[in-house]
Amino acid sequence: MTLLTILLMAVITFTTRYLFIHPRLPVRLGAKMAKLLSFSAPAVLTAIWVPIIFIQQGQLSISLHNPYLIAATLAIVAAAKGKSIYLTMFVGLITFVLSQYILSL
Amino acid sequence: MALTKKKARWLMARKGFLDMLPLNLAVLPWGILCGSLAVQRDFSALEAILMPLIVFAGSAQLVAIELIANNASLATILFTTFIISSRHFLYGLALRDKLKVLPTKWRYSLGFLLTDELFALSSNNKSFVGQLRLVYAVVAGGSFYVFWLLWNVAGVIAGSYLPDLTHLGLDFAIAVTFIALVIPTIINLPILVTVIVAALLSVVFKLMQFELDLVAAALIAMYSGYLTDRFLHKKNDVNNTDNHKISPSVKDST
Repeated sequence: MTLLTILLMAVITFTTRYLFIHPRLPVRLGAKMAKLLSFSAPAVLTAIWVPIIFIQQGQLSISLHNPYLIAATLAIVAAAKGKSIYLTMFVGLITFVLSQYILSL
Repeated sequence: MALTKKKARWLMARKGFLDMLPLNLAVLPWGILCGSLAVQRDFSALEAILMPLIVFAGSAQLVAIELIANNASLATILFTTFIISSRHFLYGLALRDKLKVLPTKWRYSLGFLLTDELFALSSNNKSFVGQLRLVYAVVAGGSFYVFWLLWNVAGVIAGSYLPDLTHLGLDFAIAVTFIALVIPTIINLPILVTVIVAALLSVVFKLMQFELDLVAAALIAMYSGYLTDRFLHKKNDVNNTDNHKISPSVKDST
């Protein structure tokens, strides 16, 4: 039963990725639609990471007791200044581990 | 010292691998979490490894493991998978004109490999254009697949020795990766508006427990960015006609 579920899940994830690049699908994109879609990367990726930072156990958490918020703030500064993906990840992860540790004392 | 075709391909493959490497490393905790959680929720090793092997998703895998462990109905599991995965429709649409013209082999491979991470590396105007950029994309996306599988397998092997990792904050690694990917792309006002709207709405919709939270927030954010862009263009056009004083009739019509 679990095997069947996993197989059907695979069909779904592949379909959502592949469907709109299938040539025979009768979809034509105009210039306006293409412009709109050019904003999809910042829009979707932001809608993924922001809730991870601000929502803890289903509750909005905007305080200095939220290690996600402290670490994300520093990571954003690093990303804006440094532009190096490794530096941003390093700053974010170190700050996250440290603030988690300090807050748990 | 002419760059042979073979050499050029090798260089592009290398670049694809190196560009994806930080993301491959960043999903280590998340992959181990997925693999170990499956084992801890009584999945067989085969089932636990089939997840990254054929489903190849992050949050969809994690949520489905919990649902299956709680004996949720098949319809619930598949519907949830569909909702979580539906953001990929946007990626397919955004890349449609570039990918639909490719030979079947490339199209199916890139379609399978089209994750958030590969999409994030595909924002260049010329991505997927020409054989060399296809090599780049397949190596970048393919290396992500291999690493994701590897981390999951590590989680499956270590699973029974590890504590429950779900509340250790491993999702922060995902957040910081996307921060590193998104923040440097904010190069103009329309993109800034897109990011701010997506940030606000994604939090509001999630707190409202709206099922399509992510996709709805993203769509409205995209439209806000689009409108900002149009507004700026209109303002520019007006300024241009004013400055140049082309002809009275043009000026009057604005």
